[in-house]
Amino acid sequence: MGYAAAKGGFDAIRSAEELVRRHRLEARSSWLEIDQIIERLGYAVDRVMGEGALWDPESSAIAFRQAEGDVVEAAHLVRAYRSTLPRLGYAELVDADEIDVLRRIVPAFREPPGPQLLGRTPDYTGRLLERSPEDESRRQAALAAAEAGDAAAAALADDGRATDGSPTDADTAGSGLEPARVPGRLMDVLRSMDLLVDRRRDDDPAAADISRVPARPGAPRSARLSAMARAETGALVQLWYRNILGPDRNIHEVTLGEVRHGRLPVRAEHPHLGRPVTVGHVRVTEVEAIEDLDGNDEDRSRFDVGYGLCLGHNEKKAIAMANLDIALHRDLALGDDAGPLEQSVLMTTDGLDASGFLEHLKLPHYVTFRSMVERKRAMAPAPVEPEATATEAKAVGASSEVPVG
Amino acid sequence: MTTAETSDDRPGRGPDHEPDAERARRAELLAAAERQPLLDVADACLDGAEPPQAVLAPEVGALVLTVREPVEATRFQLADVLVTRSEVVHRGAQGWAMRMGEDRAGALAAAICDAECEADGPARSRVDTLCRATARRLARERRVEWEQLRPTIVEFEEMSE
Repeated sequence: MGYAAAKGGFDAIRSAEELVRRHRLEARSSWLEIDQIIERLGYAVDRVMGEGALWDPESSAIAFRQAEGDVVEAAHLVRAYRSTLPRLGYAELVDADEIDVLRRIVPAFREPPGPQLLGRTPDYTGRLLERSPEDESRRQAALAAAEAGDAAAAALADDGRATDGSPTDADTAGSGLEPARVPGRLMDVLRSMDLLVDRRRDDDPAAADISRVPARPGAPRSARLSAMARAETGALVQLWYRNILGPDRNIHEVTLGEVRHGRLPVRAEHPHLGRPVTVGHVRVTEVEAIEDLDGNDEDRSRFDVGYGLCLGHNEKKAIAMANLDIALHRDLALGDDAGPLEQSVLMTTDGLDASGFLEHLKLPHYVTFRSMVERKRAMAPAPVEPEATATEAKAVGASSEVPVG
Repeated sequence: MTTAETSDDRPGRGPDHEPDAERARRAELLAAAERQPLLDVADACLDGAEPPQAVLAPEVGALVLTVREPVEATRFQLADVLVTRSEVVHRGAQGWAMRMGEDRAGALAAAICDAECEADGPARSRVDTLCRATARRLARERRVEWEQLRPTIVEFEEMSE
């Protein structure tokens, strides 16, 4: 039996693409605007930016709309776009202590330095589906928009007065932040109480660049943090949960120190001044996970801390990341060899890798499968009746041409 | 008396009068300026001037954002940030700008505004006014944001036995 190469299906593929495009354009509902997606579907936009590893709400929203709400597909589109961009350089190194908080809670400690600031969160609200009439929701939205419009008009008028030559203290905006917006860390409190293993390093190693060199087991911690920061949220959460309650059990249930959502500045060097200037901000979620050390070779009189930081507002991801960071640190400290947990984090949590591998299964595998069929037949027990064998062989030989996708 | 009231009314003119500080502050405010007013002011800067020369045509690309984390005090790459940068020569002076996102027109306009100020061109006052309005908007937005956030600070009450 031989194989015959075949090609085809291009017209069908083009027609399938046209169906996708037409559905996107011809849906009976009104066109979904980018600003609507950014404002009203913010968590999805943040996830796409985080998993796409590119801060740009507009690109993320466009991708989310093009992917018709499939977050992993949207992150794929953003990664593809990102791969076409020139790398203009490196922003100035920013210290995570600079996070200007929109939300900050410290579950481990009632009175940390700075406030317990709940911010905007549904954490303490019952998960009840709001089935209020649409007309009523629209009426409330219109009312809120009108109030916001009035406030904006008043503010613009105020701005106009301020630009008539009379300077105000607003001209110095950005020169300082309220202490409550940049609170101290619980980690520093624990250090001052001598309750924390001090892992701070003086050698300041360069950060691994996993965009150019894929992270593989044995990679430095900076590569692990980068990989988790852009990992698929569900994959990180699942890996954390599997290690807490599943068969792996590599992770303790930690106590959370800092849980923050806030802004970090993006600073670029001004080429004519030789000094950094702030060109904008990104929003991030940051988590510290406090681990109760209990290993035979560990300092049981102290705690250790895992760290999570990702783009946008995504607390599930940052918590899982912080938990996995400390688990990896402890796991790797036990031996020289990379453990299965490190392999799982580095090799199986990237959404693009995982979904790409999975999606490829839908491509034609005619030849592969035909070969498997042949092997099965070859391994079948020798038939008892010679006549039956001849009949069967004739049936198999009847279709010797196999299309190749 | 505020810091600004002790100095002239140009953005960035505080106790630190050095031109570099003023230009750095201007770059930050032009990066944050609303797009349409920025384009309008750039148009005004071009009135009566030769067309600007592009030293660096508006270029969209990625900046790598590296963060120092607090556990080991080491660096790691968080993600890329989409930005657009531009550089021009206008009225004989060089202007540079960078804005977040894909915004070629905005980055070019900001670079023209920067050059207008460096050249002390006739529309400099309009650029200064735009920067002041931007500073004021940013301060207002921040103030309003904090007014909304502050009520979410938890005030604990001691439970008596």
